[in-house]
Amino acid sequence: MSLPNYEFLPAPLWLVTTLHLVTLTLHFVAMNFLLGGVIIVLHAAIRKRWDDPTLLKFGRLFPAAMAATVTLGVAPLLFLQVVYPKQVYSAAIVSGWFWLMVIAAVIIAYYALYRAAFKGERVGRVSKTALVVALLGLLYVSLVYSGVFSMAERPKLIHTLYAENQSGLLWNPALGDWFLRWLHMVLGAVTVGGFFVGMIGRNQPATYQTGKQYFVVGMVLASLAGMAYLLSLLPILPAFVHTPAIWALTVAILLSLGSLHFFFKRNFCVSGTMLFVSMLGMVYARHTVRLLKLAGQFDPAAWHVASQWGPFAMFLICFVIALAVLAYMFRLFFAANKGAA
Amino acid sequence: MNYPFWGVPIGYGILMAVIAVVHVFISHFAIGGGLYLVVTERRARRRNDPATLEFLEKLSRFFALVTLVTGALTGVGIWFIIGLLNPAATEVLIHNYVWGWATEWTFFVVEVAAALIYYYGWKRMTAAAHLMVGWIYFIFAWLSLVIINGIITFMLTPGRWLETGNFWDGFFNPTYWPSLVMRTGVCLMLAGLYALLVASRYEASDFKTRTVRYTATWGLAGLIVAALSQYWYWKAIPATITATAEKIMRTPMDALHYTIWLAVAIGVLLVVCLLLPRRLPMAVAVVLMVFGLAWFGSFESFRESIRKPYIITGYMYGNGVEVARTAQYKKDGYFAEIAYKSGDESADLFMHACRSCHTLDGYKPLKPAFDGTDKAFIAAIIRSARLLRGNMPPFLGTAAEADKIADYLYQRIDHRPLAEICKEQGIDLGQKAYDVRCGNCHIVGGYRDVSKSFVGLSADDLSGLLDMSASLGDGMPDYTGNATERVALVAYLQTLGKQVKK
Repeated sequence: MSLPNYEFLPAPLWLVTTLHLVTLTLHFVAMNFLLGGVIIVLHAAIRKRWDDPTLLKFGRLFPAAMAATVTLGVAPLLFLQVVYPKQVYSAAIVSGWFWLMVIAAVIIAYYALYRAAFKGERVGRVSKTALVVALLGLLYVSLVYSGVFSMAERPKLIHTLYAENQSGLLWNPALGDWFLRWLHMVLGAVTVGGFFVGMIGRNQPATYQTGKQYFVVGMVLASLAGMAYLLSLLPILPAFVHTPAIWALTVAILLSLGSLHFFFKRNFCVSGTMLFVSMLGMVYARHTVRLLKLAGQFDPAAWHVASQWGPFAMFLICFVIALAVLAYMFRLFFAANKGAA
Repeated sequence: MNYPFWGVPIGYGILMAVIAVVHVFISHFAIGGGLYLVVTERRARRRNDPATLEFLEKLSRFFALVTLVTGALTGVGIWFIIGLLNPAATEVLIHNYVWGWATEWTFFVVEVAAALIYYYGWKRMTAAAHLMVGWIYFIFAWLSLVIINGIITFMLTPGRWLETGNFWDGFFNPTYWPSLVMRTGVCLMLAGLYALLVASRYEASDFKTRTVRYTATWGLAGLIVAALSQYWYWKAIPATITATAEKIMRTPMDALHYTIWLAVAIGVLLVVCLLLPRRLPMAVAVVLMVFGLAWFGSFESFRESIRKPYIITGYMYGNGVEVARTAQYKKDGYFAEIAYKSGDESADLFMHACRSCHTLDGYKPLKPAFDGTDKAFIAAIIRSARLLRGNMPPFLGTAAEADKIADYLYQRIDHRPLAEICKEQGIDLGQKAYDVRCGNCHIVGGYRDVSKSFVGLSADDLSGLLDMSASLGDGMPDYTGNATERVALVAYLQTLGKQVKK
């Protein structure tokens, strides 16, 4: 009896890639709100920039933001593993302990956010300690993700590291690969966090101003880090500028600036949409970098495709139902809140 | 063998269990607890029972914290850990069942949102809207079980998938339905046990009496469903697997027996709760909870261990070796297939062939099994791995590779004579020598018991048998022990023969 082959893609590559990029962007939105939000709120709480009720309002949002970040992070990880299992698992194994501790760090950060929210409700002020713990947890996760996913793009490095040590205690030594990438992500989170702080606090001048400052300063710093990261990719840069990703990146940068403009005009809907599309463009550009780094060692287009359209239809139908149910539940919840108000 | 090997000193089985047991416990509780909350809330609202509503609100806060944080994240943790421990099997699952997981993800998103809205909505939403969200939570939580159950059961009983490779053939496999019903029963039972724990903290009162009685009914109903469908589950597993387990696999059979005894104990305690609800002490509720955990842990241990020697039955062995590539391995050996090399061929072979299940001196240790033996004996055992008790995967590498693994192990074992290591002599030393040299394949009174063949044989006859041991059957090694062990072993074999006579 010939056994089934498992080395196939269950849908065309473009479909899996699209799902990966879109869900990853959604994850980034939630993650940026959370990470950037925690940094800004913590900073504001330490410097006593806002009144306590506004800080507490943000504090109450963080557990839900964490839930959204985790939930929206599952899908892109899933789709990434379908196309790049050998790269991702191999890199994760070399840094096995760091990778596994991500779960512990997220659980600690999550409980710390709940503690901050519950304590805030109870005593009427923000628990800075809980927020610091949560922030450390989130920064750890972001560092490990940058380190492991950057390593996954360098199979030869994984081979070399593994030959040195098999304990799973190795960290990606290619600082240039992950540090600027990580820095850009964190500063980007501060930027998007600034947008959300300004939007949610639009009726409180101090909060809006703080959000604006973080949005602007964050964008400048994130752009500088992004530029430095781009320059660190010198060996693949010539190839990169000949891909559609360079246009995506250009449009993304322009849209970021546009989002700033509309933020100043307090048109948060347009500003937010531009920011989201800009992030999508950057995620696509980053995806192209991954392909260029893996060129000659792995080509995702080489996968044999054996589409499972029936199961895919099940996913699609359930996805639509889930969206409808989510909309229905939020309507119930917010309608009740409106009624209560 | 396409992946690096994570060389952690802790046994893979323990690492997996730590995360998986916590997750399966909380995730089942999350489903049953959701149903308990909404059904009980509906009942309380109809009866205009504010005490119960207050009890439920408290319950839902802890429920949300445990399920949304630890439950959800240990679920992600299972992904992380299986990718580290058995990336090859994870790759098989991900390629075949990505749309199953993606579908489960859509349910998970709704489940998480519903749990948050339900918790935050107690004081803000109308009763009808709150109940509606509660129902949505339960339905979507249960639907995620409907999906993940297909993937979990696929690993034990892939059914027709092995022939067709079809998603649905693997998904709706022979153990799918019994497992789904059983897990649904477990969900109800755990919800009942948890609510009993919370209720036990209340002072003796009418409220406590009716809550304990009502909640114990949940636990009992769940237990009955789970216990009956566990039998159905056992019957749905192909007879070849269960027969082998009964014959040579102690771990799953022990785990199965634990589930039976624990079910009886839980049942008895729940009946006591029904009869004496007013003063239910917290200690009893804690014991019930611990028993519930132990029951479920035992069942999961049974499910994982009865799959041996496979990680996916008939498709991939526990060490990630693909059944379809048997011929390739036999021809070229393992080493040629190992993608990530450490520079130490023997260590690489040991890691990929053995280390997924065995450590040297921790979890399922090999050192004590080989202490006092020699390279030739170890190599012979490795080559005959498929014959060992416990249902081991076959060794598909070359003879030279078996020698290299033997060499690796030999360098790490105790080289003193067995008598010195175990500080025994006479029959006791013989019994120890039997355990080490023979007991891996021949269990006295059990699997491949050969005691009968020693009946009436003299010491010289038995010594002669040891001399020709390699020719006595498939996989039998040469006897390579020293003279002291030989004398002791022969004496012990004689006692075995005499015991049969009696």
